[in-house]
Amino acid sequence: MSLLDLKLLRDLRALKSQAFAVALVMACGLAMMIMTRSLILSLSTTRDEYYEKYRFAQVFARLKRAPQSVRSELQAIPGVAAVQTSVAIQVTLDVPGLAEPAVGLINSLPERGEALLNRLHVRAGRLPLGGTTRGEIAVSEAFADAHGLKPGAKIAAVLNGRREIFKISGIVLSPEFVFEAPPGAALPDNRTYGVFWLPYKELSTAFQLYGAFNAVAIALAPGASERKVSAAIDRVLLPYGCRGAYGRNDHPSNRRVDDEIRVLEGLSLAFPLVFLSVAAFMTNSVMSRQIALQREQIAMLKACGFSNAQVGGHYFKFSLAIVVVGTGIGAIAGITLGSKLVEMYHLFFRFPQLEFLIDLRVLIVASIVSALAAFIGVAGAVRRAVRLPPAEAMRPEAPAHYKPALVERLGVSRWFTASFRMALRNIQRRPIRSALTCLALALATGILIVPNSFRDGIDYVIDFQWDVVQRQTVTLSLVEPEAARSLADFKHLPGVVHAEPFRFVPVELRAGPIQRRLMIQGLPAQGTLSRVIDARPSQLTLPPRGIVMSAKLAEVMQVKPGDEVIARVLEGRERELAIPIIGLAEDFAGTACYMELHALNRLLLEGDRISGAHVVVSSSRWPEFLATVKQTPRIAGCVIKNSLRDGFRKTTAQSIGLLQKMYMMFATIVAFGIIYNSARISLSERARELATLRVLGFTRREVGAVLVGELVLLTLAALPVGLLLGSGFARGILQAVNTETVRLPLVLTASNYASAVLVVAVASALSALFAARKIAEIDLVSALKALD
Amino acid sequence: MPLPADLGPTGSGVSVPVRQPVYRVRDLGRVYGLGTAAVTALAGVDLDLYAGEMIVLLGASGSGKSTLLNQLGGLDSPTQGTLEYRGANLAALDEAGLTQFRRHAVGFVFQAYNLIPSLTARENVALITEICTAPMDPREALALVGLADRMDHFPAQLSGGEQQRVAIARAIAKRPEVLLCDEPTGALDVKTGITVLEAIERINRELGTLAVIITHNAILADMADRVFTLSDGHIVSTRENVQRGNVRSLAW
Repeated sequence: MSLLDLKLLRDLRALKSQAFAVALVMACGLAMMIMTRSLILSLSTTRDEYYEKYRFAQVFARLKRAPQSVRSELQAIPGVAAVQTSVAIQVTLDVPGLAEPAVGLINSLPERGEALLNRLHVRAGRLPLGGTTRGEIAVSEAFADAHGLKPGAKIAAVLNGRREIFKISGIVLSPEFVFEAPPGAALPDNRTYGVFWLPYKELSTAFQLYGAFNAVAIALAPGASERKVSAAIDRVLLPYGCRGAYGRNDHPSNRRVDDEIRVLEGLSLAFPLVFLSVAAFMTNSVMSRQIALQREQIAMLKACGFSNAQVGGHYFKFSLAIVVVGTGIGAIAGITLGSKLVEMYHLFFRFPQLEFLIDLRVLIVASIVSALAAFIGVAGAVRRAVRLPPAEAMRPEAPAHYKPALVERLGVSRWFTASFRMALRNIQRRPIRSALTCLALALATGILIVPNSFRDGIDYVIDFQWDVVQRQTVTLSLVEPEAARSLADFKHLPGVVHAEPFRFVPVELRAGPIQRRLMIQGLPAQGTLSRVIDARPSQLTLPPRGIVMSAKLAEVMQVKPGDEVIARVLEGRERELAIPIIGLAEDFAGTACYMELHALNRLLLEGDRISGAHVVVSSSRWPEFLATVKQTPRIAGCVIKNSLRDGFRKTTAQSIGLLQKMYMMFATIVAFGIIYNSARISLSERARELATLRVLGFTRREVGAVLVGELVLLTLAALPVGLLLGSGFARGILQAVNTETVRLPLVLTASNYASAVLVVAVASALSALFAARKIAEIDLVSALKALD
Repeated sequence: MPLPADLGPTGSGVSVPVRQPVYRVRDLGRVYGLGTAAVTALAGVDLDLYAGEMIVLLGASGSGKSTLLNQLGGLDSPTQGTLEYRGANLAALDEAGLTQFRRHAVGFVFQAYNLIPSLTARENVALITEICTAPMDPREALALVGLADRMDHFPAQLSGGEQQRVAIARAIAKRPEVLLCDEPTGALDVKTGITVLEAIERINRELGTLAVIITHNAILADMADRVFTLSDGHIVSTRENVQRGNVRSLAW
C-alpha cells in the first residue's frame, strides 16, 4: 500500500462517524433502489418464465356457446399458433365451515392429454383422472390455503341447480390466475372466491355444453398482430355470443401483476434519487471541509513534487471509500430486505416459485451512479485545492470577511446575545453554504413525510371506501339479471333492514384509441348504501343521463366531463352507445363507471332489471341471513363488506405498510445523517474560534450556544420548506405508483407533519448534544498554538 | 513527464565541478497583480549559487526573501529575468515540469513543518521517497537528523524541534541537490533551533547539498558560506564568511 493510501485510511478512521453517516445515506438510497429493482426483476422474470413454461395464452375470449367445430375456424386464422377451447362456469359453493356462500369458477380440463395453453402446475395431489372416474376436482392454491383444504377434502358446489359433492384431487396453480379475484373486483377475497378445474365431460354435461365451448384462449404465432387476430376472432365468434376477444393487457390477473411492477418502478427511482443527491451533497460538504483542513498538507505534497493528479486522486479515493462502504451496505441491505419482501408477494400472487433475483445490472449502475455523484460532490473542492499554488496554500487561509448580519442592521441587534449574533453572522457569511445546509435539512424533513403519507392514505382508503362509499353490510348478486321486482325478495331475507338494487353491465369503453373493459354500475340516483363520492368529498346525485366515471379512468382514457365515450355492451344484445361523461368520482380500488339505474336500463332497452342488491343486515339475524342466502340458488355471490376490508388490510395495506416502515426507517437514518453531518462540519469549521472564545472566558454553554444557535436557526428555516417539499414528494410518488387497480389518495395529516418535525428536532437535539460534548473536548492550548 | 537530463537526480552533489553554478539568476523580478495594484516583490536580483554551499538569505518580513525562495524552489514563476537551474530555464517550465523539478531536485523545509499528522515520522519520510528515484532509506535519513529512535512516533507525539528534523529528513531523503529552508527555526526556541540547524549543516557538509536558509535572524548568518541581505525586493548586501561559524556557538 502506498503511504498516501495509508494516510487515506488513517484520515478515514479519524473521520469515521462522518464518513459513515454519508455512506449510510448513500446506502439507504442504494438499498431502496436495489431492493425495488430486484423485486421488479424477480416478479417479471418469474412471470415471464411461468407464462412461457405453462403456455399462458395471449388472446382470450368468452362466449355463450359454440360447437367444437368452430375451433378449426379459429385455428385457421392467420397468426394463430394454438387454440385452447374450454368451458368455464361460475357456480355457488358450499364450503365446510364457511357461513356465507362462496363462488367458484370452474374451468374444464381437456378430455385427453394436457392442455395446449394455460397449463396447470400441480402443487399437491394430482389432476382429476377424468374418463370414468367422476367427482374429482382440482382447486386453486389461494382458495385451498384460505380454507386449509388438502387433497382428499370434500367440497360441495351447485351445478346447474344440482348440489354435487366433489373430492379434491389436487391443489393447482394456473398462469391465468396468478392474481385470483372475482371478475370486476380489484381486491382478492380468497375465502369466498375460488377457481376449480373439472374434466371437460363432467362439467360440460352438467350444463348441457357437451361438444361445445364457452371460453377460448389463443397463442399467437411469432410476429402476429394481436389486434388483427382479435378482430378475426371477433368475426368468427360473433354468431356465438362473443363480445370481443381481449389480450393480456385486459386480462385481469396479468394486469394486476403488471400494475404491481409499475408500482415498484415508481418507487424504484424517485425516492432513491433524492437520497443519492443528498449523499452527493453530504460528500461534498465533508470533502470540502476535509480539504480545507488539509490545506497545508496539500501544499506540502505539491511542494515536494506530488502532481495535481496524484493529490486530486488522493481525495477522490477518499470519496470513493465512502462510496464503496455505502454501496456495500446498500447492496447487503437491499438484498436482505428484498428477499424478505418477496415473500410478501405470496399474499397476492401465486407463482409455482417466486425466487428472489438480484438485479446485478442495477447494482452496477447504482454503484456507478453513486460513485459519480460522490465524484461530482468532491470535484469542485479537489479542483480548488490542486489549483492553489503551493506557496500560497502554505499560509493559513485569510480570515473571512464578516459584517453585521442583515437582521442586525435592521436595528434589532440589541435584542440578541453575542452568541446569537455570531450564529447569525456565520450563516450570512457563507450564504450558499448555509442555503445548501438548509436545503439538506429540508430534504431530511421532506423525506420523512412520504412514508407516513402512505400510511395515512391507507387509513383514509379503509375508512373512505368502506364507510363513506360502501355502507351496505353485504352485496348480493344474482346469477342472471332479473326484473326489478326481485328487490322485494332481497328485502324479505331474514334480518335485511334495507336494500338497494344495482345493475352491473360489462362494457368495453372507448375514447379515441384507448379502450378499457369494465363494469357500468347502475345505482339509485341518490343511494344510501353504495354511494358515488366526488373529490370534495360529497355524494354525487347520479343524473338521469350520462355516466360518472372514476377520476383515474378519465385520466387514463384522456377524457373529461362533457366528453363522450363509446360503450360497447358485452352482455345480452350487442349495442354500441355514445354516453356523455357527467362527472368524476373519487374511488381507490379498480375503476368503474356509475350511472343512474333507470337511465342505464333505458339505454340497454331491457326494461327494469337488476343484477343484485346492496343490503344492510341486522347483526342479530346475521347467521340466519347467511344460511338463507346459502340456500338460495338464484344468489350467485355474496360479498361481505367487512371481509373485503379485512382482505385489503391483510394484503395491500400490509404490503404498503411494510414498505412504509422500511422507507420510514431509511428516511429517519438519512435525516439523522444529514443533521449530524451538518453539526460536525460547523463544529470543525469553528473549532479554533470556539477555543478562542473559551480561552477568553466564555463558558462551555455560551460557546455551545453559537454552534447550536446556528443549527437551530437553519433547522427552523428548513422545517417549513421541508414540509412543503415533502408534500410535493408524496404527491409525485403517489402519482407515480397509482394504478388503475389500486390507488392511494394524497393524505397529509398534521400528525404526519408533526412526526417529521419531531424526528428532525430529536436528531438536531442529539447532534447538538454531541457537538456540545465535542466542545468540551477541544484542547484549548493546542487550538491556539495552531493559530501562529 | 521526462525531466531534462540535467535536472535529474544527481545522487550526490560532491562529484559536480565546484565552479559550475547550480543556480544562475539574472535580473530576476516578480510582480504580483496588474496596473496600479501591481506590487513588486522582487526586482533585479543577480545570484550564482554553487553546490555544497551554505547560503543564508536575510531580511525583514516583506523583504522578498520568501519570494526568492519560492522562485528557486519552482513554487512560483518569475515575471522578469533569467532563472537557470543547471543551465535549464526554470521560467520556461509548465506546471508539470515544475512538479518534476520539485520532485527530483529540491528538498523543502517549512517553518510550520507541514508533516502529515496521520503518518508516523518514518512514513512521512517514506511518503516522499516513494515518488522519487534512488532515494535514501527513510531510516537512514532519520538517523542523519538524529531521530532513529523516534521514527515510529506520530507528529503529535514529537516536539517542535523533532518535527522539524523529521521535515529535514523528509527533504533530504530524496538526495536533492538543493535544500531550501524557509525560517526553519522560526517556531523553535534556541536550543531546539540549534539541533535543527546542526542537522541542516550536517546534510550540507556530508552530502554536499546546496542549502539555502531564509531567516530574519541575523545571528544565523555566521553559519553560512555566503549571506545575502534583502530589502524591498532587492539584494542590498552580500557577505562572504571565510570561515563558517560553528552552529553550536550561535545564540539568539
